[in-house]
Amino acid sequence: MELEPMDEFEQELRQAFERWPAPPGLKRKLMERRHKPTQRSWFAWPGFAASLVSVSLCVAAVLTFYGSHERQQEKERREGEDARQQVLTALRITSHALDHMNQQLAAHNRANHESSQE
Amino acid sequence: MAHDWQPDFEQLVDEHQSMIFSLALRMTGDRGLAEEIAQDVFLELDRSLSKIESAAHACFWLRRVAMSRSADALRRCKVRRVDLWVEIDESHGVRVEERISPLGARLEQLLETLPEPQRAALVLRYQEDLTPDEIAITLDAPVATVKSHLQRGLKLLRAKAANHLKDYVRQKEFVRGA
Repeated sequence: MELEPMDEFEQELRQAFERWPAPPGLKRKLMERRHKPTQRSWFAWPGFAASLVSVSLCVAAVLTFYGSHERQQEKERREGEDARQQVLTALRITSHALDHMNQQLAAHNRANHESSQE
Repeated sequence: MAHDWQPDFEQLVDEHQSMIFSLALRMTGDRGLAEEIAQDVFLELDRSLSKIESAAHACFWLRRVAMSRSADALRRCKVRRVDLWVEIDESHGVRVEERISPLGARLEQLLETLPEPQRAALVLRYQEDLTPDEIAITLDAPVATVKSHLQRGLKLLRAKAANHLKDYVRQKEFVRGA
């Protein structure tokens, strides 16, 4: 590809943008990182740990949700059962009271009947 | 694919560390980040060494990965250019103005203010002396787009440097006259 010759400004840019020297410790740090066994293992530890934590949190959240849902259902079932027992108890008491009143009325009627025959 | 070239990792680091560090530094404007990017790029090269076919391929591969990593880093964090120049002055022990001409130092600073695609194109053009075609391959962008970035970046840089350039030319003429 044909390129136009650089003008004075572009030449100045070229000079200004010469490469910087690399920091003195770059190669040493690089070699240290290169020879660290964990750097070349099958998983990158921070990423793996983060994934593990994320998955654990998700599982915990799901279990908590379902656990609380089941606990709620169990609570509602118990409350329903209690309410049913209370209603049955009330009905039994009412039935017992009505029987008692019926007996009293029957006794009263019998007494009235006997006195009228005399 | 079989190839005769036997890469020497340490030699590649010696040869290209300045290039990679400079690309990352000019792209991110942060010395620490640039050093980190340079290390990451070389470690990635180490892992991909079997795929590298020649010295020229290694150079191309390093430039490409360095630009890509720098762009990723730029997207992750915004760095203020003021910090860059303070750090460069402190860590190199050489003031920017002393290393290059006053106009050159000013141009380095103005480069930081350009949009990222224009900065990338200009750095590859004037630091690495690549043609627009080579820049397009390195940045994985259409040649027309690269040319557009180069033109716009250059125009913007000229405009921003105009006042400084006038002073610079005036000073030169004054020195010549004296």
